[in-house]
Amino acid sequence: MTDRPQSDASPAVELRDMDKSFYGVFANADVNFSLARGEVHALLGENGAGKSTLCSVIAGLYRPDSGEMLMDGEPVAFKSPKDALAAGVGMVYQHFRLVANLTVAENLALGNPEVGLRLSQSELEAEARELGERYDFPVDPSARIWQLSVGQQQRVEILKMLYRDARILILDEPTAVLTPQEGQGLFRAMRTLADEGRSLIFVSHKLHEVKQVSDRVTVLREGRVVGEANTADAEPRDLARMMVGKDLELPTRAPNESIGDPVLVVDNLSVQDDRGLDAVDGLSITVNAGEVVGIAGVSGNGQRELAQGIVGLMKTTGGSVELSGKDITGKSVLQTIKRGIAYVPQSRLGMGLAPGLDTDDNLALKQFREAPYSKGPMLSPKAFKTKGAELIEEFDVRGVRTGLPIRLLSGGNLQKALIAREVTQEHCVLIARSPTRGLDVGATATVREEILAERDRGIAVLLISEDLDELLALSDRLLVIYEGKIVGEMPASDATAERLGLLMSGHSEEQPA
Amino acid sequence: MTRRLIVEPRGLSPWWLKLLIPIGSVVAALILGALFLALTGNDWVEVYSKMVDAAFGSERGITETLVSATPLILTGVAAAIAFKMLVWNIGGEGQLIFGATTAAGVGIWLSSSTPPFVAITAVVLAGAVGGAFWASLSAVPKVYLGTNEIITTLMLNFIALNLMNYLVLGSFSPWRDPDATQFPQGRPIIENALIPQFRLRLDWGLFIAIAVAIIAWFVISKTRSGFEYRIVGDSFDAARYAGIKVPQKVLGTFLASGAAAGLAGSILVAGILGKMDPRSLDLGLGFIGIIVAALARLNPIAIIPVAILMGALNNAGPALQSIGVPAATVQILQGAILLFAVGGEFLILNRIRRPERPAEEAPADVEVSAA
Repeated sequence: MTDRPQSDASPAVELRDMDKSFYGVFANADVNFSLARGEVHALLGENGAGKSTLCSVIAGLYRPDSGEMLMDGEPVAFKSPKDALAAGVGMVYQHFRLVANLTVAENLALGNPEVGLRLSQSELEAEARELGERYDFPVDPSARIWQLSVGQQQRVEILKMLYRDARILILDEPTAVLTPQEGQGLFRAMRTLADEGRSLIFVSHKLHEVKQVSDRVTVLREGRVVGEANTADAEPRDLARMMVGKDLELPTRAPNESIGDPVLVVDNLSVQDDRGLDAVDGLSITVNAGEVVGIAGVSGNGQRELAQGIVGLMKTTGGSVELSGKDITGKSVLQTIKRGIAYVPQSRLGMGLAPGLDTDDNLALKQFREAPYSKGPMLSPKAFKTKGAELIEEFDVRGVRTGLPIRLLSGGNLQKALIAREVTQEHCVLIARSPTRGLDVGATATVREEILAERDRGIAVLLISEDLDELLALSDRLLVIYEGKIVGEMPASDATAERLGLLMSGHSEEQPA
Repeated sequence: MTRRLIVEPRGLSPWWLKLLIPIGSVVAALILGALFLALTGNDWVEVYSKMVDAAFGSERGITETLVSATPLILTGVAAAIAFKMLVWNIGGEGQLIFGATTAAGVGIWLSSSTPPFVAITAVVLAGAVGGAFWASLSAVPKVYLGTNEIITTLMLNFIALNLMNYLVLGSFSPWRDPDATQFPQGRPIIENALIPQFRLRLDWGLFIAIAVAIIAWFVISKTRSGFEYRIVGDSFDAARYAGIKVPQKVLGTFLASGAAAGLAGSILVAGILGKMDPRSLDLGLGFIGIIVAALARLNPIAIIPVAILMGALNNAGPALQSIGVPAATVQILQGAILLFAVGGEFLILNRIRRPERPAEEAPADVEVSAA
C-alpha cells in the first residue's frame, strides 16, 4: 500500500447507472455509487434492498446488466471474484469462506498466487501474526479454524483480504455475528484501515453502527439509491425514514398491567457445557405470567446452556426448574413440551426447523403426536394440510409450496413459521433466543409484536438476546448474565445501554438492583 | 467471453425427472455396455436380445427373474431405510448370510412333524431375528459409543461369510449334511419348513418381499413413527428439539434394516435352496441391494421394479456364457447403472444452465455455485 498511484481525486470505485436483474426482476436499478479513498462508506437498507447485490457486483461475483464500473477512474469489468481480488477488491461474506480443518495461516495462504509452492509453516505463521498485530486483530495463526469463535473467524476473513493487500474491503453485515465488544474492536480496526487509505464498504441495517463508524452513507430501497449523505450530517431519524420509506415505529409497548404469579422458577441451576465446564453456574430466575424477562449478555456466557437446560436438551447438574409449581428438573424434551414450554432456539434451520421437510411438516414438528395430526399410530395428512394452511395464512408466511423444503424460504419467513408453531401450541412459557437476529425491519416488527402479544395473553416470556435494542423494546424486567450467573437485575424502565454494557462486560454493580 | 455453467439447487424436482433419471441411467449403462461389447468384438444386438430373452422370454425366464428379484427387494429395502436415516449399513451381505444361518439352524432343529405354517413362520422369522442381531453388533456400538458403522458392517460381512463356510465346509456342525459324502454341503431343513412354490421355482417368498417393501413405505409415509423417522433422517438436532429420542430411533432403524436383509437369507433357505448352501448365498446380494436402493432413490415402492430389473440382469448372466460372452458383463452393467444413477441424483437435486440473459442466480445471499 506504499506507492499506489494517486494521480487524481477520482474515487476508488465508482458505479454509473448500474442495473442488475434476476429473471427480469430488478435487484439494482440506476445505481450510482462512489467510494472515496480512505473512507468508510455505509450501505444502509432493509433485507432485499439490493445491498448484497451491489456489493457482489463490485466484488466481481455478479456482472452488471448495464452501466459502468470504474476503479481510480479507469473502467473495469471483473469476470470473477478472483479478478476483483487481483485488482484489490476483497469481500467478506456473511457466510465465511474458510477451511475449517486448516490453520489460520494456511487459510491466509490458500489461493494466494504469491505464496506459490512455499509452504513453510513458521514463515506463514509469522506473517499472519505480524498482520494481526498491525491491525490489533490478535489471532493465533496456528489455531485451526474450527477452534475459533465466530468473531475470530471473521478476523481471519478480514486478514485474508489484507494479506492479499485488498485496498477496497467490502464487509457484508459484519456485526450480525459479533458481540457488542467484538463489534467495537471491528470498528476500531475499520478506522485504522481507512486511515491507511483503504476504502471500506460497510453493510448494515443498524443505524447506530452506521452512525458510529462510517464517514458517508448511501441508503438503498427496492434496489435504488434513495439517499446519500455525510454521516455526520445525517439524522438517524431521516436515515430510518429513507430506509423504510416511512417513519420508523418502535413497537409501542402497552404498559404492563397484570403481572401474574410465578410460572417459571429456575433456582440455583447449573448446566455444564460440552467441555464439562459450568456454563450455567448456580443461576436463579423467576418469570411471572404476563411478563417478559429479558436476559442480556455477551454471547457465550451460558445463554445456550440456560435455555437448553430448561427445555431438557442439556443435562442439568444442579439446582431445580419449576413450572407452575411442579418440578421439571431433568425432564426430557418431550416432557417439557407437553408441560407447556415453547422454545424458539437461536438456530432456526437445523434445530427449530427440519430443513429438508416442507412447511406443513415443520409446522407440525412438535404437535404431530396428538390430534388432529395423529389418530392413534397413524398420521392424518389432511390435518397437516389444513392446519398448515391456517398458520401460513395467519402468520403471513410467504413462498410456501407443498413438498418444497422449508430451507428454501427466506430468514424472515422461516422465523414466522417457527414462531407460528411455537405460540399456537398449548404452552405457558415461551423461551426465545435472539428471535429477530438477521431479520429485516418488517419481519422484526412482526416477531416483536408476536412476543408482546404472548405477554398479553398471560404467557411467561423469557427472552434471551444479545440485541440490546430488542431487549429494551420488549422486556418488563432485565437481567444480565455473565459467566453463567445473573449479575444484575432492573426494571426495563431503569435500564440504559451504558449500565447494561458495564454489567455485561463483568463490571459488578455496588449493590443489587 | 468465458461462459461458465451455473449449477443451482432445485427447490422441487418435477416428478417426471425423478422417473427419467433412473431410466436414463439404465439406458446410459446399456449404451456403455454396448460399446464395451462392440469393442470386444461381440454383436451387442445379439447379446442384448439374448439377455432379454433369458430374462423375460419364457415362463421359465420370467419366474427365474422374479426368483432372483426376491432377495434383492429385501436387501434393497434394508439399504434404503438405513441410508435414508444416514445410517450407512453396508452390511446387508453379512446380515443376509447370518439370517440364513439362523434360519437354517431353526429349520434343522425343528421336529419334522411341526405343522408347515408354524415351521415356515419360525424359519422365516428366525432369519429376520438373525439379521437384526448381526446388525446390532454394529448398531449398538454406533449409537452408544459412536463407532463408524461403515467399517463395522463391512467387517462383519466377512465374519458372517467365514462363519457360514466354517459351519458347512470346515467343521462337522449341525449345519453340515452328514450324508454328503462327496463334497460338504448344508443339511436340508425339514420338509414342512419349505415355502411352497407356485410356478416352477417361484415361491411365496416373492410376496413376503413385496409386502415388506409396501410395509416399509407405509410406515415411513403414513405413520407417526415414520414421521419421527423422517425428522431424524433430516436433522438430528431438529429431532432432539422436537422431543424425539434420536439414539433409539437410529437403533431401531438399523435393526429393522438388518432384519430385512436377514429375511432375504431365510427366504432363500426356506425357498429355492432348502438348506444353507454357501455357494448360493455368497453372490453379493447384499451389495446389489445397495445398487437397487440407490436406483430406486431410497423409495421402498420403487425398489420392487428396480429389483426385478436387477434380477433380470442376474438371471441373464448364465445365458450369455452360452454365446461365449463372459457372465461378468452383467456386473459391468450393474456397476455402470449405479454410477449413472448416482450421477443422475445430482441432476435431480440441481439444475445446470447457461448464465445467459436473465443472468446468474436470484436474490440476496446466493453462493457462487453449489459445492
